[in-house]
Amino acid sequence: MTATVPLRPVRRWIHRTQSAHRDRGETLGSLYFALLFVVIVGAMLHQQITAVLWPEQPRLSGVSAIALGVLCGSLLLMTLRRLGPVSLSRPAAYFLLTAPVSRRRLLLPAARLTAIAAALLAAAAGFAVVGHTTQRDAAPVAAMTAGAAVAGVALFLAAVTAQGDPVRAALTDRIVAFTLAAALAELVAEAAGWAPPTLAGWPTATIVVPLVGALTVLVTAGFLHAVRGLARTPNDRILESSQTAGTLFDAAFGMEPSWVADMVERRFWAHRRLRSSRPPARLPVLIGQDYLLARRHLPRLLWLTAATTLPLLVAGGSGWLLATVLPLGAMIAAGTTTATVKTDAGNPVLLRLLGLSSRQALTQRLAIPAVLATTWATLAMTLLQATGKVPGSLWWLLGLTLGPIGAAAAVRRARVGFVRNDLLPLDTPMGTVSTGPLLSSVAGPDLLILSLPTMLAIATNTPPTLTTIAIQAVVTALGVRAYVTYSTSNDRVDLTR
Amino acid sequence: MVDHPAVEVSGLSVSYGSTPVLVDVGLTVPAGTGVCVTGENGIGKSTLLRCVSSLQRPDAGTIRVFGGEPGETPDFWRAVVTTVEPPTWYPGLTTREHAELICRAHGQDPDDAGIAEAFERFGLGGHADAIPPSLSSGQKQRLTLLLALLRPSSLLILDEPEQRLDPDGRALVAAMLADYLTAGGSLLLASHDDKFAFASGAEITTMDSLSGPGA
Repeated sequence: MTATVPLRPVRRWIHRTQSAHRDRGETLGSLYFALLFVVIVGAMLHQQITAVLWPEQPRLSGVSAIALGVLCGSLLLMTLRRLGPVSLSRPAAYFLLTAPVSRRRLLLPAARLTAIAAALLAAAAGFAVVGHTTQRDAAPVAAMTAGAAVAGVALFLAAVTAQGDPVRAALTDRIVAFTLAAALAELVAEAAGWAPPTLAGWPTATIVVPLVGALTVLVTAGFLHAVRGLARTPNDRILESSQTAGTLFDAAFGMEPSWVADMVERRFWAHRRLRSSRPPARLPVLIGQDYLLARRHLPRLLWLTAATTLPLLVAGGSGWLLATVLPLGAMIAAGTTTATVKTDAGNPVLLRLLGLSSRQALTQRLAIPAVLATTWATLAMTLLQATGKVPGSLWWLLGLTLGPIGAAAAVRRARVGFVRNDLLPLDTPMGTVSTGPLLSSVAGPDLLILSLPTMLAIATNTPPTLTTIAIQAVVTALGVRAYVTYSTSNDRVDLTR
Repeated sequence: MVDHPAVEVSGLSVSYGSTPVLVDVGLTVPAGTGVCVTGENGIGKSTLLRCVSSLQRPDAGTIRVFGGEPGETPDFWRAVVTTVEPPTWYPGLTTREHAELICRAHGQDPDDAGIAEAFERFGLGGHADAIPPSLSSGQKQRLTLLLALLRPSSLLILDEPEQRLDPDGRALVAAMLADYLTAGGSLLLASHDDKFAFASGAEITTMDSLSGPGA
């Protein structure tokens, strides 16, 4: 047996060697620019940040505040689960995970950093939730914010526990999905007009402080226990989370979000057990394939169905926000099956094997996304209409006309490919803007401009008339047809252009 | 289509930067026959196959496939199958569904196309419900060749099809290529394995012999 090698000198050597390759003062320079960026953005957006964290007229009911807190907690736990949370950098996973060093010491720094980040995020979310309620006394607010920070660490511990065992992981994910759905359901129900029961009142500081104290003791004990068990985290889990962290870093550094999307897609299918089946024979071949794919995305379809209620949440705010959310939602719904288009656009090997023209392929690939987007938009519009959030009675017809636009936008998004970093940057008074990532980010959503007649009707709160619907239908038909005609050909198979 | 050679190349030149890879290359593959190009690594076999498949534009020379210019039209890809490029797979589709998709796109009834038999012959019978990324590299190579041979075509352009195959797999693929030639298909392949090329029924030629004015 090899004796355990002390880790600290190894890490110090790595740090020293890396530092030797940096220019003198480079780290300080980076820190200076990061701080400057935060200060400038803070100064520019302080009014918006205040409105989010501490609005002048808080409107959240007690039950809504609890639901919002549960929603934030669920999202935080979901993020921690996706990240690991016990992780290593890719070089450390490659060189040090297999080295005879203390695993606990190896994993502890990242675990500690993640716990601190979870506590800070939870504290910010807790402060914002309390800030939206009528509770404005300093002592209870401070105590609740501190409690939220401790709860953030508790969520980190839950994620660590789940990481080590597949059964616990599946159970945690199910609980998170349930709490997320329940919290959203409450918020939507209230937005739709349901009056929640009034709570007896906010707990006073004398109740909150001891509770937070007890929770802190429990979480501290749990954290120490988790640290003792860090070494038992399975290698495959650490490697997976290391790959996740690496991909996220690459995507951020290279401004290439498609790497994250590819990783998510790969993992989704790697964990599925499929059974070969055959689509209905009367469906054209690629529509049949997309039909199979949509059927295999049942959980996503259920979430999308539930998400048709989400526009109700923003219906009370700016008209333009609602006008933007609806076509965007249709595009996201359509994106359920567009991974096939992404595959073909990235490498047309299979399209050549199929021997179909790009026009045939794209026309068929639009069908299932159009059905999904049309269904989503029509349901969302019908709900808005039924709850009186929009005036008039013909909105569901506009939903029917939005579907093909959402499908075309999703398909265009899937055809974008890698971000082009070779394009000339734009010099603006605010600094230099890279045009490649900018153009890539708008490719797809830019087609949603075709839904302008509907957006205008929503934004100006104008009841749609048959003329509005006819205009939207004509714009949709002409716009989608033009997209297919000018971006494909009967004489080539390639979908890239 | 049968009036013309399957592949006719003359005066083909390709350079990568200042490095010439193909210089005045000539090659003819008569319809219904097979030619296997051999040669050491880097001599330009794959470049030649890529040019014939229209996936790479040559610096000079003419290429005819069944008398026409190779292109990116659906008609060309209905006649020609190539494995010059690394394969890609549709997400969420099993290996068998990939095969059925390709059959249906070519108007074949999946039940009559002999998919199950092909899977058994290629040793993939137990992997019909697997997704391709979960297969080993050798199994992926078998699947690539299975898909290439399953659909109707007139010309196969294969780049080192014996790669990553075990000895049994090589013998099987060589026999299937020989059957393909017997059925009237044409074959252009690059290989490092003379035994495999011989068994496939293709005439073996070296890259050196294809270069120069007399080629």
